[in-house]
Amino acid sequence: MSEPSLAALAGVAAWATVAGVDLVSVPQGLLSRPLVVGALAGCILGDPGAGLQVGLALELYALDVMPVGAARYPDYGAATAGATVAAAGLDGPWAIGPALALALALAWLGGLSLEYLRQSNARAVHRRAAALATGEPREIRSLQWRGLARDVLRSGALGVAAVAAGVALARLWPMTGWGGAAASTLTIGLVGAALSGAASGAIRNAGRGLRLRWLGLGAALGLLWAVLR
Amino acid sequence: MTGWGRAVARLLALQAAWNYERMQGIGMGWAAEPLLRDLRATDPARHPAATVRSAEFFNGHPYLAGLALGAAARAEYDGATAEQVQRLRTALGGPLGALGDQFFWAGLLPALSGCAILGVTLGWPGLAVGGLLVAWNALRLATTGWALRTGLREGLGVGRAIRESWLTGAAQRIGRFAGLAVGAAIPIGGAWLLGGLTGTTGLTALAVAAVGVLLARIRPAWFTGLRYGLLLIAAVALLTITGILIGGRQA
Repeated sequence: MSEPSLAALAGVAAWATVAGVDLVSVPQGLLSRPLVVGALAGCILGDPGAGLQVGLALELYALDVMPVGAARYPDYGAATAGATVAAAGLDGPWAIGPALALALALAWLGGLSLEYLRQSNARAVHRRAAALATGEPREIRSLQWRGLARDVLRSGALGVAAVAAGVALARLWPMTGWGGAAASTLTIGLVGAALSGAASGAIRNAGRGLRLRWLGLGAALGLLWAVLR
Repeated sequence: MTGWGRAVARLLALQAAWNYERMQGIGMGWAAEPLLRDLRATDPARHPAATVRSAEFFNGHPYLAGLALGAAARAEYDGATAEQVQRLRTALGGPLGALGDQFFWAGLLPALSGCAILGVTLGWPGLAVGGLLVAWNALRLATTGWALRTGLREGLGVGRAIRESWLTGAAQRIGRFAGLAVGAAIPIGGAWLLGGLTGTTGLTALAVAAVGVLLARIRPAWFTGLRYGLLLIAAVALLTITGILIGGRQA
């Protein structure tokens, strides 16, 4: 595939920023799901197939995540965008392997950035505790908007870094000389890990009741379909 | 009391200032502002204290937080004591978190995500991704609006309204469908990514997945798909680099 234009890369970075803000702040409407991010990023880059492949694999990883309370969870939004850039730029049937490896590292970094954001917000609240105690709505408003601004900065920085990393991987991977063997091993291993993540999450959510039986039925039907197709 | 629409819109950004000190407290205070605006005129002495209370510690499910927000605002207008309002918020956080997590994160999300994965593998990516977004956001917005309306109507009696609501039964029903959808999506998604599950490639991936599921049973606190994936990347990198070094020495 030809090199993506700067405008396309900027578009993917902007989309990754929107996804990052959606995950943490607003509107929290699943725009940050890997399947959604990958589909649109692939369309922007002119390679929807790459976006769907990366998005679907990372969606399986994301099914393992329960974003509850104060839990720290990975940010798959920017990670999917960066991996789509890499997968679209790499040739060959195993391009998804190195792209997924990049995505997992980025998702982990994204999780760290969430931690940093929460701590920054806590420090801001702590600093303005006395002003908050006056009951002036302006103080609450200010903290809310600053929190949102911090998240936009976080998501923007992560989006740009992810896209840059995707471009770098697409250019550098052929130079490593690792070729198809490493890429195919990564693909098989990381798709296997994605399946295990999704399965573990599903088993955990199902508990021991009726839902576990429905999960088993679904898995049996799915396996049958996958084998017969 | 006015400001319902603005409060619903602000609930969409409830977690923008999420922090370890007050968790969703600042977002709740921000969303409460339009609801408490009339209180400034009707009871100016109470308004500052009500504003302070609205931004105190709170943590529940973001989509159901409107129940607590509305109930607390109603209680302020009804002249409830500060202790009553604080107790109400504290009492609602945990159950709303548990209910919302069960319905949205462990039920509706995997159900829709599983369907979307199946849609992509069947060759309908636009419908799959669009359907996921439309279905989720329609339900989410309807729930947020319902939650705030119910909270504002019930005030201190909101607990009973939650118990008798559609939420508890719906969480169980959607959970079963989620099990079915995700169960089917995992092998079909894997087969789509690898071009089948019966060849060497597919069987190796299934073996990797089986080891991962086993690890998750043995060390549930440690295991995540992400950690397992990072571990595999490290192993592949080590093997590749070692192979190159051995090859170099032999040459």
